[in-house]
Amino acid sequence: MTVLLWGMVLALLIPIAVACRPSDVWDRLAAFSSVSSKVALIILVVSVMRDDRMLGLVGAIALSAGNAGMLLLANLLRGVER
Amino acid sequence: MRRLLPLLLSTAFRLALWCLLTSDLSRLNLLIGLVVALLLPRARSRPLPVRVLLKATVRGLLAIPQAFAEALRLVMAPAMVEREDSEPATDRALPLLVFLDVFRITLTPFTIVLGLEDGGRRYRIHTLTPASKEDSEP
Amino acid sequence: MAHSLVDHASAVLLGAGLVLWFWGTWPLLGTHSYLRKLHALSVADTLGSLLMLLGLLLRIPGQWPLLTLALLGLVVWNTIFGYVLAACSLPPPPQPATEQDSAP
Repeated sequence: MTVLLWGMVLALLIPIAVACRPSDVWDRLAAFSSVSSKVALIILVVSVMRDDRMLGLVGAIALSAGNAGMLLLANLLRGVER
Repeated sequence: MRRLLPLLLSTAFRLALWCLLTSDLSRLNLLIGLVVALLLPRARSRPLPVRVLLKATVRGLLAIPQAFAEALRLVMAPAMVEREDSEPATDRALPLLVFLDVFRITLTPFTIVLGLEDGGRRYRIHTLTPASKEDSEP
Repeated sequence: MAHSLVDHASAVLLGAGLVLWFWGTWPLLGTHSYLRKLHALSVADTLGSLLMLLGLLLRIPGQWPLLTLALLGLVVWNTIFGYVLAACSLPPPPQPATEQDSAP
């Protein structure tokens, strides 16, 4: 389980690196969405490791509600670009 | 009855989500969930044909194992080809059906919907498929 | 016996999900076209995470309501988000392309 967690954190570093370096806005947005779902999954895994229901609830809510803001941001960005 | 059906369906869906979120089936909690489900604003649309809706849902669910098969083929593939494609849309008048179609097509890793074209009668689709022998030769 | 079998199955699912994560996130670093990255991301973030959630579900079946909700939210949101990103990043078709548009 610990090895899995380390692997997940390593995978999380890739989109963070992409989001940090100068690149296209859309690339960055895709990287951020990837970060959001990966972090939520990591929260869920940690909640299973620690057997903590409340942490799991946070992860589930982050998974189901976190992307809504990104949707709005993408639509806004399209409006700005035109 | 036909006018009542969408109301029933959406309320049941919201109540199910509420029960999943709270994982508590006591009477008081069910009552609170019912009130919340009824109070949330709902979209206005013409009556849904239940059979079509059911068919689209089943097709969306069937897309999940298919998505895994395609993901496996993509992982194995040495090279890939990108193309633009289009597919006839079923019915534009029902937003829920369009949503289910977009969901089904985008879920599979070979295809992503880019938008509607031709006045909303066709989906623009971007595909990424493993290269076959003839494609990689030239 | 059955318990260890479930444990192994969940470990295999979690590992497979991690492999898909790496495979799908790696192209983000490269210089492929944007849509190709989105295809890979849909593999990683939707399907890989789906496998991981199934693995977790095998491990703690007692919490199935929560994990089912997470599963539903993950699949629907990530898929629709992939579509929105693809559709929004395209230059609008009817107007002539300007310098602002990020043509691939």
